[in-house]
Amino acid sequence: MSGWDGFLHGLSVAAQPDVLIYCMFGVLLGTFVGVLPGIGAMATISLLLPITYYLSPEAALVMLAGVYYGSQYGGAVASILLRLPGTPQSAVTTLDGYPLAQQGRAGVALFTSMVSSFAGSMIGIFVLIVLSGALTRAAVAFGAAEYAAMMLLGLVAASTVGAKAPAKGLAMVVLGLILGCVGTDVNSGAQRFTFGQTELMDGINLVALAMGLFGVAEVIANIRKAERTGVPPHVALRDLMPSRAELRRIPFPALRGASLGSFFGALPGTGSTISSFLAYAAERRISRRPEQFGKGAIEGIAGPEAANNSAAISAFVPTLALGIPGDPIMALMLGALVIHGVQPGPLMLEARPDMFWGLIASFGIGNLLLLVLNLPLIGIWVSMLRIPFRWLYPAILIFVCLGVYSVRGASFDIFAVALIGVIGYALMLARFNPALLLLGFVLGPLIETNLRRALLIGRGDPMVFLQRPLAAAFIIAAAGLIVMSLVQVIRRKGTPAEPAS
Amino acid sequence: MKRDIPDLAGGLILAAIGLFVTFYSVEQYDIGTMRRMGPGFFPVLLGGTLSVLGLIIALPALGRQGEAIRVAWKECLAVLAAILVFAAGLNSLGLVLATLISVLIATLATPNRRIGWRILLAGIVTTLSVGVFSFGLKMTVPLWPGL
Repeated sequence: MSGWDGFLHGLSVAAQPDVLIYCMFGVLLGTFVGVLPGIGAMATISLLLPITYYLSPEAALVMLAGVYYGSQYGGAVASILLRLPGTPQSAVTTLDGYPLAQQGRAGVALFTSMVSSFAGSMIGIFVLIVLSGALTRAAVAFGAAEYAAMMLLGLVAASTVGAKAPAKGLAMVVLGLILGCVGTDVNSGAQRFTFGQTELMDGINLVALAMGLFGVAEVIANIRKAERTGVPPHVALRDLMPSRAELRRIPFPALRGASLGSFFGALPGTGSTISSFLAYAAERRISRRPEQFGKGAIEGIAGPEAANNSAAISAFVPTLALGIPGDPIMALMLGALVIHGVQPGPLMLEARPDMFWGLIASFGIGNLLLLVLNLPLIGIWVSMLRIPFRWLYPAILIFVCLGVYSVRGASFDIFAVALIGVIGYALMLARFNPALLLLGFVLGPLIETNLRRALLIGRGDPMVFLQRPLAAAFIIAAAGLIVMSLVQVIRRKGTPAEPAS
Repeated sequence: MKRDIPDLAGGLILAAIGLFVTFYSVEQYDIGTMRRMGPGFFPVLLGGTLSVLGLIIALPALGRQGEAIRVAWKECLAVLAAILVFAAGLNSLGLVLATLISVLIATLATPNRRIGWRILLAGIVTTLSVGVFSFGLKMTVPLWPGL
């Protein structure tokens, strides 16, 4: 079963009432947390992970994915109205969205972002269907060396591309890989880094790690920050309608943004945030009115919003087709799949077609729901911006504690969350990215297994990674990225320091 | 004297963790051979990489002015205390009391609020958590202190 047949089959899975309800719940919750500055998709998905134990795997994944792409819709609302990006992916939208809102055209900016997001998602789904089918077939030729090399490339790309301090990113990834070693070694049965604690024999709990790093640490960091939000302007349904001239400025930027986004989203390591910046730069370069950018150009909203949504969807390509998550959110998704005993990768399409196609079809349904619900509900979402963070964070904390406790009824895990939360906060303060730690943590066991296998097949010769063309290409690309970021760091140091203020 | 304290401290801590992982693995686990990796092989590789990266982060930080960081001490303490009290009290006090107390502690992070607001919020959150986890998800956790 492939392509459109598969998609049609998926629609029949995703349209089952229980799956549909969780899809709707997911996208609405996603929009809600996207709108609210101070809590993001990462934290929300971590929070929901334990609850998914009570759901069918299909419903669970559909809901979590809905939170992710739903938050992209919501993120634009705070960006446009308050110049506070609700999610990092919508940071670019502040550049032209906020000026438009100040000119009293907030409704038009919101309309543009939602319609472009929808268009971007649809193109992302198309790319996902085409690419994942092709990649699943190609993956048959993938051996352990290719897998290990590709994961290495993904980790290096995620920590170096567009990063100010690539060494700090790489260090987080390696620390994550080390934490992934904790527990019983699957190959030899040795207890690694458990220090006699029976609770650690199964390894560090993904739920506790994710909730500590994103739930607790973000709450601590945001209690003071999120309190200083402005008062959003009032937006009514009729304000949303753009003029005909404005309407004509949406389709082509959205199309270009979506193409950029679905390309970069599918690559390991580069995700929706980078694609939205690239789409903005591209729109400004080819525009006949570049001087309007930054002052309320419709194209400056349509391009990036389409790009980040299509990237969010096409990011599922490597996750579903190869079992290799390209960014931290996908790492959480992979974790959720594994919790439910589903092993993503080339075999998933054969073994769990319901899951595979149901999830993809739910993206279509979910995005349609978002478009249909969010346009009329816009007044409600805007008023959500008036909820102060102090009403929310105590509930978030209690839900974190109960969620992590519910996994196996151990108070040990709640204490662990507190400790991880403090570490996560310290990492945030020192500008280390905890999301990269999580990516390394999830990929760690996979890399070790494939590295071991590749070396065994290669009779202990590490050249095995350079003798196979595809693996060699991944390794060379990873090395190239490291060299490039080194050159950048050295060049930056060569330029005279900014005058002291 | 110019120092980038977060990078310096962070880099050194990471380097120390890397060294510890390397030596501990060499000491405790079988490294194996390239052909047959033992349980110690991967950790040694990672520990070594981390200690090098830690130094790469720490050394340049010596001659550079770092950005000032502001630690939200009060928020951090209130959140931590709330979680620890919840963890310690969940089984002995029961879900209702543990949630009430824990929320009251967590709200200490927001100043200038009346006690009425704090109690109201604690009531709402307790109702929610009992509703969702105890009745909704049928979690096995005591609601009240055991007799």
